[in-house]
Amino acid sequence: MENNFLSLIIFAPLFGAIINWLFGKKANNEVFSATVACASVGVSCVVAFMIAFGLGTPHAGALFMPEGKPVLDHLWTWIEVGNFRADFGLAMDRLSGIYALFVTFVGLLIHIFAAGYMHGDKGYYRFFAYMNLFMFSMLTLVLADNLLLMFVGWEGVGLCSYLLIGYYLKWDTARRAAKKAFVMNRIGDWGVIMGILLVFTLTGSISFFDKVIDGVKIESALRIISEMPAEPFTVGAIFAGGITSAAVLLFIGATGKSAQIPLFTWLPDAMAGPTPVSALIHAATMVTAGVYMVVRCNGIYQNAPTAMFIVALIGCATAIFAATIGLAQNDIKKVLAYSTVSQLGYMFLACGVGAFIAAIFHVMTHAFFKALLFLGSGSVIHGMHHEQDMRRMGGLKKYMPVTFATMVTGWLAIAGVPIFAGFFSKDEILYKTFIASNLPANWNYVLWGIGLVTAVLTAVYMTRMMVMTFWGQERFNLEIPGEEHDSPFEEHHESHDFKPHESPAVMTIPLIVLAILSTFGGLVGVPYALSSLVGLKDINVFEHTLEPVIVKVKASEKHAANYHSAVIHHESGSLVENTSEGFQKVAEPRNDEHGKLETKIETTEFGKAETHSATGHHGHSPEEIKTERLLALTSVILAVFGIGIGWVLFQKEPLRKMPKVLEKKWYVDEIYNGFIVDPITNLSRKVLWQGFDLGFVDGIVNGAGNFVVALGAVVRRIQVGFVRSYAAFILLGALIVIGYFIYYGLKLIG
Amino acid sequence: MKENLLTILILLPVVGAIALLGHHLFWKRESHLKWISLGFVSLEFLVSLLLLSDAKPSANGFYFEKNLRWIEAIGANYHIGVDGLSLWLVLLTTFIMPITIVSTWHAIEKRHAAFYVFLLLLESAMIGTFVSLDLLLFYLFFEASLVPMFFLIGVWGSDNRIYSAVKFFIYTALGSLLMLAAILALYFIHADATGIRTFDYVTILNSMRLGNLVLTAQTGALLFWAFAIAFSIKVPLFPVHTWLPDAHTDAPTAGSVILAAILLKMGTYGLMRFNFMLFPEASREYAYVFIILALIGITYGALVAMVQPDMKRLVAYSSVAHMGFVVLGMFSFTEQGMQGALYQMLNHGVSTGALFLLVGFIYERRHTRLISEFGGLANVMPVYATIFVITAMSSIGLPFLNGFVGEFLIMLGMWQSAAVAHPWITTMIAGTGVIFAAVYLLWMIQRVFFGKVTNPENEKLLDLNWREVGLIAPLVFLMVFMGVYPSPFLNRSKEAVVSIQQRVIGGEKGGAIADFIKSEEVISQLENR
Repeated sequence: MENNFLSLIIFAPLFGAIINWLFGKKANNEVFSATVACASVGVSCVVAFMIAFGLGTPHAGALFMPEGKPVLDHLWTWIEVGNFRADFGLAMDRLSGIYALFVTFVGLLIHIFAAGYMHGDKGYYRFFAYMNLFMFSMLTLVLADNLLLMFVGWEGVGLCSYLLIGYYLKWDTARRAAKKAFVMNRIGDWGVIMGILLVFTLTGSISFFDKVIDGVKIESALRIISEMPAEPFTVGAIFAGGITSAAVLLFIGATGKSAQIPLFTWLPDAMAGPTPVSALIHAATMVTAGVYMVVRCNGIYQNAPTAMFIVALIGCATAIFAATIGLAQNDIKKVLAYSTVSQLGYMFLACGVGAFIAAIFHVMTHAFFKALLFLGSGSVIHGMHHEQDMRRMGGLKKYMPVTFATMVTGWLAIAGVPIFAGFFSKDEILYKTFIASNLPANWNYVLWGIGLVTAVLTAVYMTRMMVMTFWGQERFNLEIPGEEHDSPFEEHHESHDFKPHESPAVMTIPLIVLAILSTFGGLVGVPYALSSLVGLKDINVFEHTLEPVIVKVKASEKHAANYHSAVIHHESGSLVENTSEGFQKVAEPRNDEHGKLETKIETTEFGKAETHSATGHHGHSPEEIKTERLLALTSVILAVFGIGIGWVLFQKEPLRKMPKVLEKKWYVDEIYNGFIVDPITNLSRKVLWQGFDLGFVDGIVNGAGNFVVALGAVVRRIQVGFVRSYAAFILLGALIVIGYFIYYGLKLIG
Repeated sequence: MKENLLTILILLPVVGAIALLGHHLFWKRESHLKWISLGFVSLEFLVSLLLLSDAKPSANGFYFEKNLRWIEAIGANYHIGVDGLSLWLVLLTTFIMPITIVSTWHAIEKRHAAFYVFLLLLESAMIGTFVSLDLLLFYLFFEASLVPMFFLIGVWGSDNRIYSAVKFFIYTALGSLLMLAAILALYFIHADATGIRTFDYVTILNSMRLGNLVLTAQTGALLFWAFAIAFSIKVPLFPVHTWLPDAHTDAPTAGSVILAAILLKMGTYGLMRFNFMLFPEASREYAYVFIILALIGITYGALVAMVQPDMKRLVAYSSVAHMGFVVLGMFSFTEQGMQGALYQMLNHGVSTGALFLLVGFIYERRHTRLISEFGGLANVMPVYATIFVITAMSSIGLPFLNGFVGEFLIMLGMWQSAAVAHPWITTMIAGTGVIFAAVYLLWMIQRVFFGKVTNPENEKLLDLNWREVGLIAPLVFLMVFMGVYPSPFLNRSKEAVVSIQQRVIGGEKGGAIADFIKSEEVISQLENR
């Protein structure tokens, strides 16, 4: 189905960016810049809604297309060499439709908020040009119909992130943070490029969808891979150059963009950017791009059980790791940043256990409540005249009632209090982890347990943040020993008659809208186990919408599980031995026909077996419903428990000393600098450049040169310019080489 | 007209040079010289655009071909022509030259006449190099390009110019010496085998194709290496790259731009045109050496670029890394890799040329290129900063800017290459160069442009003027255009690149099947006979 208006969604913000870029400075008018920026995103938003829901379009809405078929818009063929082809083509299917909807809508709200927040800033037009450029990139990423165009958006958002983190040009912290973010993302991008290359090698295509362009039939790479037999669960599969390798490579990219271990340290630093940027890019949209990619490529991941396990492990580890750091931060934005890292970990955990829909559900609810919390913190910072340190806040609820009230909904949502949006999505992830069958034995319980502990920690640190900011004594002029002034703003509040103030309506209205979404947004995905409690039928609209997006990999799930259970039960859990065995098997050359044949037979055997997909196709069996309800109850109790702990610990003593190691973020930055960055720099400078280039090679060259000069001194007697000595050179050298050839020729004859 | 077009392109700059000299002798108005040169190179560019007009290729597959007897006694011909491989390089040359001339507007302080004469002669030599289809003629042009460059660096260069010029000269002259020997050897071997004494590339190639001239493995390898060393120095390939940072750093801006944009391409062009076509077996056999050296060059160049204190030297080392990518793509022997390599040559010309221009702008203002001297320039020179960031992004390989298309195609080709045992490992290592590129360029940008203005000398720097914006704008436009819509370029070069690829993988005779073993069998059969 073609719809040429699709490209309007991405080009409207690009147009806005260009207008602001070209005329913004001359116009020097905040209203002009803000209007252009908000209007262009507004156009995107309206068009996205129209196409997604089929309002005024000749076809059904993208969210309702049968079998999840996409609405396409082919613009031009970008690169075509040999059998490789990458189009500039857009596609909106159910997944990208949902993404486009919340990206444009939340984006619009944040743009409106920023119009107030950035008031008075010298680079107002520049800010909005970057923001619009970001929207263009993000929407390209989401709506791309092939991997390479997705990568264009992927890099584009990285660039805008770089520009916006470094927005306060004169501030050292910002420029360092910007570079760090870009470089860390680049490390991840390496994985994405390699992943794309491998996918192309495996399938001969990089397209997401089957389509026909100008009479040329293009096959979907994802479909081809999903029709391949699943790979075994072994360490060797990672390095075998097959589906698992592709999945792992792509995931490396996801760890960069979505700030997972080990590439997460850029995100907290990225808070040096203006707060609306943190809300839009570093909470709601860009950082979830990794999740989007994994879900988009779920056909690949479902056939790569090893990669799935890695995704789950990394996600889970990141979730708890970041949560512990979040406990001890004093900068309000840093708390939220680590919270974002932690929540992203949840999303990957969901992907890793095959709950792709739950992951996207959490992406969406998280976009609502985290954007709200960030904008709320922005409102606080604005009202506090650029103060970000929570130790100098306290008692703000009476000065900023709207901000306070809205942030409370965000707080309850992220903590997992029922009815609020975050509860349903987080609960879904924990439940799916608990019942996951694609992991080694008992790992589902381990991951679930860690996830649960993380949920408690989340409630604790969020309560700490709320308490420190809004309750208790006013500590506006608190002296903090050993603290240096580190802020892009010269004017820092020093006066003693300082009063915080509520933000203007242009800022509070987006807050209110987001608060409503954070409160009720989760109701689109209420699972049957819970809706049946109040006598409702299956109202899980979200899941049913996305179901066609998740590839039903026939038998693969079973295959992996069976293979795996054979491994586990046979050797009573001696995983290591079996893995090494698998390693040998997979480490053989890729084109081993024999091996291929073997796997094929295996698949057909299991192919007959009962099909069961990881996507949670539940027939609402009473037992499952019971488990789900029990788990939900557990997490509710723990959420309330966490809030209670937070309240008890910090209500009386908001400045309670936290463990140093947490405050210092487990010293990860120091470790990276000490063990990676500095050694590479020193190696490059001392050994490679000064040692090899200047010392060794040039030593030889200069030695030879001196010899020539000495030689030249002799020749110079006969008055020779350089050109002539060069001619002599040619002659000499040519004679030597010709001499060799003559010698060689004589040898052949003789 | 049609068959004389290339001759016109070669001679027009020479005419310009003569006109300059004449003008200088009779009027002695130095301010006129740059205008005259600009006129000639602009005319040259316009004329060169005619190359894009559709003309039918000759039987040899070349366009605008011209073949005249030159030195009959030794069988040297004036044989010139373009194909998809050389077309874009010629156009790149004619495109860069006007920009270069405008960049020198206020930069040259002495000997104006000589400076512009050398520039024009250099253009003539470069075009000659790319269109020559006679080995001797090629050699002459290849060498002729050396002399003007030597003087450009040695006379108009900065601090350490004599050392750098001599180093440049000795390095490249030594390499081409070997090539001359190989050309002579090939000439005699061909004469022995067929009785035809000729330097003509097409004739020799056809003798090889028809089996009239069969090189033994050993001879083929020797000749291959003689050519390859000459071209590798020019590229420059690790470890013979150390002339490049010096030459670049001390050359005047115009020299650096031409050096980066065009002279280096002579090396990669030569490898593809002569090494691959004349010695396909040896090319395959030693491909691994070049791939390894290219890999080292990519990572090494990037790492060393990272720690350079001098902006120009940093860009020079980045050239080593980028040209490593080009060599890597060529030796993948796949259509994607080789197309990518050719495209990357153009990209490198545009992006690195632009980077050198930009460094030149700031050098003209401050007479220093040390990164530590700057800081916070974005505050005083916002336009300059913006263009610099765009150019750096193009060099880093950001999608939708030109660098990405080339690098991606090269990696795509390498991944599927049969030239080495583990192509994907090779590709993965090459891919790290993409990471490091971001590190060194962004680090430089961070130190030069961001932050507060700390050095009082930088406070009153003027932003780019219209001349400067005007001469960098076409390059920026190309960066975007080539990144978004590469098809026109790739389609034109496709035919030539595929024919080279077919030749080098030995698929020429036995259909289009890339089967190394088969072709080696064929060769051994031929050799036994």
